[in-house]
Amino acid sequence: MFEIIRPGTQIDFVGKRHLWIGISIISILATIVLFFTKGLNYGIDFTGGAEVQVKVPESWDISKVRSAMEASSVKGTKVQQIGEAASHQFLIKAQGDEKSLNLVSKQVEEALGKTLKTGEFEIQKTDVVGPAAGSSLRTSGFLSMFYALLCILLYVSFRFDTRYSPGAVLALFHDSVITLGVFIITQKQFDLQILAALLALIGYSNNDTIIVYDRVRETLHQHPGLTIEQGVNRAVNETLGRTILTSLCTFLTVFALWLFGGKVIEDFAFTLMVGIVVGTYSSIFIASSFVIYLTEYQQNRAAKLKISGGGKPTSVKRKSMPNVRPEPKFQP
Amino acid sequence: MSRGWWAKFFLLVFITVLSVVYVYPTVANLDLQKTRFPFKQKINLGLDLQGGLYMVLGVDFNKVFKDVVQRQSGSLETRFKEKQVTVKSVQVVTQNLPADDPHVVVEFDAPQREAVYGLVKKEYWMLRLVSEAAGRFELGLTSEYRTEVRDRTISQSIEVIRNRIDEFGVSEPVIASQGTDRVVVELPGVKEIDRAKDLIGRTAKLEFKMVDDKTMSAAELSKLIADIEKEKNISFKEGDKFSQYVAQMNEAAQGKIPAGEEIAFERSEGIPGQALVRVPYLLFSKSEVTGDDLQDASVQVDPENQRPNVSFTLNPHGATLFDKLTADNIGKRLAIVLDNIVHSAPVIQSRIGGGRGQITLGRGDGDDLMKQAKDLAIVLRAGALPAQLEFLEQRVIGPSLGQDSIHKGALASLIGSLAVFLFVMFYYRVSGVIAVFSLVLNVLFVLATLVGLEATLTLPGIAGIALTVGIAVDSNVVIYERIREELRLGKNIFGAVEAGFQKAFRTILDANVTNAAAAIVLLVYGTGPIKGFAVTLLVGILTTLFTAIFVCKLIFDIYLHVLEKKNQGKGVVQTLSI
Repeated sequence: MFEIIRPGTQIDFVGKRHLWIGISIISILATIVLFFTKGLNYGIDFTGGAEVQVKVPESWDISKVRSAMEASSVKGTKVQQIGEAASHQFLIKAQGDEKSLNLVSKQVEEALGKTLKTGEFEIQKTDVVGPAAGSSLRTSGFLSMFYALLCILLYVSFRFDTRYSPGAVLALFHDSVITLGVFIITQKQFDLQILAALLALIGYSNNDTIIVYDRVRETLHQHPGLTIEQGVNRAVNETLGRTILTSLCTFLTVFALWLFGGKVIEDFAFTLMVGIVVGTYSSIFIASSFVIYLTEYQQNRAAKLKISGGGKPTSVKRKSMPNVRPEPKFQP
Repeated sequence: MSRGWWAKFFLLVFITVLSVVYVYPTVANLDLQKTRFPFKQKINLGLDLQGGLYMVLGVDFNKVFKDVVQRQSGSLETRFKEKQVTVKSVQVVTQNLPADDPHVVVEFDAPQREAVYGLVKKEYWMLRLVSEAAGRFELGLTSEYRTEVRDRTISQSIEVIRNRIDEFGVSEPVIASQGTDRVVVELPGVKEIDRAKDLIGRTAKLEFKMVDDKTMSAAELSKLIADIEKEKNISFKEGDKFSQYVAQMNEAAQGKIPAGEEIAFERSEGIPGQALVRVPYLLFSKSEVTGDDLQDASVQVDPENQRPNVSFTLNPHGATLFDKLTADNIGKRLAIVLDNIVHSAPVIQSRIGGGRGQITLGRGDGDDLMKQAKDLAIVLRAGALPAQLEFLEQRVIGPSLGQDSIHKGALASLIGSLAVFLFVMFYYRVSGVIAVFSLVLNVLFVLATLVGLEATLTLPGIAGIALTVGIAVDSNVVIYERIREELRLGKNIFGAVEAGFQKAFRTILDANVTNAAAAIVLLVYGTGPIKGFAVTLLVGILTTLFTAIFVCKLIFDIYLHVLEKKNQGKGVVQTLSI
């Protein structure tokens, strides 16, 4: 039997929760600041751009056109074959607007001219194109993601407890924001593919969080004597093997996609890679920490209510309760 | 081992065989027309993976600006009257001007200059003074307003086309502006190209106009038309633009019919080889109610002759107008005009409240008529295009991700999957093999379901499948780690497997239902790529639950059964390869 994590491992994950949450809050704030200062590098799916149609010699295929564009100064290009295959015509879409149209066209010409002689290729037409994902699509996309998060919030409250749901949603928010932050820093193009990857990582992180939550719920139920902190820590430790194993497997697939997928798939895989790391981190450190915070908050409030209600000022804080039951020890 | 396992086993075999049949034509890339394989359906690939049809449509801005200027001119005339500014004439002039920039000429007596100038300046920001002569202003549209009209027309056209294509059921088209006066529409492998084109290009302007039966009889009208045809040498041949013929006819008829009226035709087409029947009408040009006030349109079948028609409902504003119109005109005929062609002109029998009506269709056989009716209902619901569109270009387009990237991506996914398979088999041994087997079945089921649903697969969809595989691996890991835990607790193998599956079940269910809830929301509220992602994710969640809980458990049961048999007589099975 191979084991990545030895059974009975007790790493103190939650003890430094203020630190983890602090790091995450700083990262989120940094992303927000970056979002408004540096900004996302929206791809032409969202902004529209310039479109140049070229005809190249028969010996050229799409990868050759693509690598010529990548080596050039044209920004954010997408290459697509147009017309029958025999016509050797390609549509090159690039970042640009009406004003820079001539410039883009010239850059494309230069890029092709590096290896081809004049007359061997032809710029057939140049035009500006509008965004494929217009504003209505953006709005509906944003709204649907908002509703989806709301739905998760409600379902988790219903199935688990209201103490769990804010952590789950905040963890998802955390993951998508930080992944966006990485996109702002690297200035990679944000387009429809990346949006799809973002959706996938939210689904992944959600799955991860719920599995940890499930164990927290079970542990607290089976060992009522544990403090909330101990319970959460134990649950995180018990699921650590599966968390790491699953993340490793998923990461492996995405890594292969990143390594061998070629230029276009690369950014898509990159998003997922960042997402898996951040998503795993958030289920272990963020989502579960919030369960502790909210439980403590509820207990404090209950205690205060009791005081103001005239009852004896007894502490009902779980933390201060003695550990009644000794933890059972398992032999592997 | 539970009884009835063989029933479960046969169910699994049946589902697997069925899925293979569904997926085979896609995987083997069969030519559906030629193959003798009984199941003829393939997975549809989206524009990013397969490419499709690239069409460029031009917006007729000459007409748009002519209409805009005409409206401004009409409005000026009214405002002058209301403000009691006497002018000699307000006219639209097109001569010696670019076709898309007609002007309005206002003529007045010199002393009125300030009053005219003041009103135009104050109320018509969209007009600029082009030139002034004694008692004469020539006004044109300002460039800002022209840009605004252009942008609005293009964005409205895109919106309307998107609605129509969505209703037609083509998923994830690309619709974008090109230059200043064109719209690019890209459709992934559409089967009925002509029908799709008709649906996109149709203006779908619905109007209700009163018929003038008093000025001349039907016979007189027909004679007038015949005379005009002869005199001006206008005729309509099959293949010509009918709208052009009608426009020419009306131009020639000016002066011969009362002002504010027009000639329109009802056309019955359909049966090939038979001449078109054109029934002329003399209509009042004013449209009493328009399609802007339409609330809904749907296909209904007339119980009397089994022919489909399109029935519509007007919104409250339209219904009020319609109610008043019918009350005031009992006994007269009301023409239902669609894109300047009369569809029917029934006599108003009584006042019609509620704003309901029907559009009857031309001739044609059953199936064809039904399609016509469906398409008409779609375009009416999606609304009219703000301008006439013309197809300028139609070409094949390659996948937007590029064929090379797709090959590389497919290869990379294969390498990635193999790596995971090897890792899982190394880590969990025989149980790992079971996990890999159920994982492969899971992907097979997802693909088969997508074929069955006739869904279109795009990169976001593939992201959904990748997520499914990730979650499916996770389900197995959760189950196996649970079984290991139970074994550590000292349970025997059978007990540990039972308890492991049972406890993991709740975890897996909660995780998947949460994701499914989110996916349903994305499916309902999302559009385009978000919807595509939600579809595959939802399908993936269902198959994952099925494989993790049913398939994997079943194979495990069989595996344990085999272990037991091997071990017969040697006591209880002691080791499990996990």
